[in-house]
Amino acid sequence: MKIFCVIPAYNEKETISEVIDKVKPLVSEVVVVDDGSSDETGKLARAKGVRVLSHLINRGQGAALETGNQYALKAGGDIIVHFDADGQFLPGEIEDIVSPIQEGQADIVFGSRFLGKKSNMPPFKKYVIIPLAHLINKIFTGSTLTDPQNGFRAMSKKAAEEIKIEQDGMAHNTEIISKAFSSGLKIKEIPVTVIYNNFGQRFSGGLKIIKDLILARLIN
Amino acid sequence: MLQQIIALIIIAFFLARLFWQKQKKQIGANEFFFWLVFWFLAAGAIIALKWIDKLVASLGFSASGIDVLIYIAIVILFYFVFRLRLRLEKIERDITKIVRKITIEEK
Repeated sequence: MKIFCVIPAYNEKETISEVIDKVKPLVSEVVVVDDGSSDETGKLARAKGVRVLSHLINRGQGAALETGNQYALKAGGDIIVHFDADGQFLPGEIEDIVSPIQEGQADIVFGSRFLGKKSNMPPFKKYVIIPLAHLINKIFTGSTLTDPQNGFRAMSKKAAEEIKIEQDGMAHNTEIISKAFSSGLKIKEIPVTVIYNNFGQRFSGGLKIIKDLILARLIN
Repeated sequence: MLQQIIALIIIAFFLARLFWQKQKKQIGANEFFFWLVFWFLAAGAIIALKWIDKLVASLGFSASGIDVLIYIAIVILFYFVFRLRLRLEKIERDITKIVRKITIEEK
């Protein structure tokens, strides 16, 4: 099975090379989507000999993931893994996240920080932001996933064809879950570790997600 | 009375400008028609201000007619801002589609 790892990257020159080095041996092809970075992210990624797709201008993480998905589907990918460029996920866990798809147990697998493995999550995030994110996801998707804002996921070809990401910004997490449930795909969650080098999504970012989700409801 | 005359002069100025823009073909027929109706309605509301006062009072509002017109104007403005926001969002999505197409074709 051809496993493609899609890494959306926006100004990640500090970490991109190391992430590629660690991920490359574990998958069939690494696809870095350089989302209009103003630093050397694209150049560094190219130097590592992986496929680099460059957005002319910054369009957001959701947009970059969909670009990666479309490329991977065209290139004959069987499984697509979404992996962050900032080094917060453990490459060793890619195997865990793709195996339910390889074994036919799931079409889409979501990583979760709340299923046993320890993540050094800042307390404000753990006790305020994440519970709020849960509530928002419950309202918009009706889903009961334990970690709706986790960007570490794997999807089968079928799931990637079914789920077209239209949310350019960070609301894509909620959108993917919502579409996975409404498409009747086989869904699985597995425990993953997240290393917090920085705080990640802030409260203001959360408000933007809500605004994007409401606007999307009105447009569609 | 004086305020009404000033308001009508301002409307007359905008109407003249509208006809001038139409003559120079700077605006389309639909837009011209929209603004024509808009300014005529505004002029009508100013001329009939006393009647609007009575109408508003008969509907049980404590505000005067001009206040109610301002409230209506604000509601309409909000609606236009909202429409604009949706339009902008669609344009953003279209930009992403274009960027993606270029990206994948250029690879």
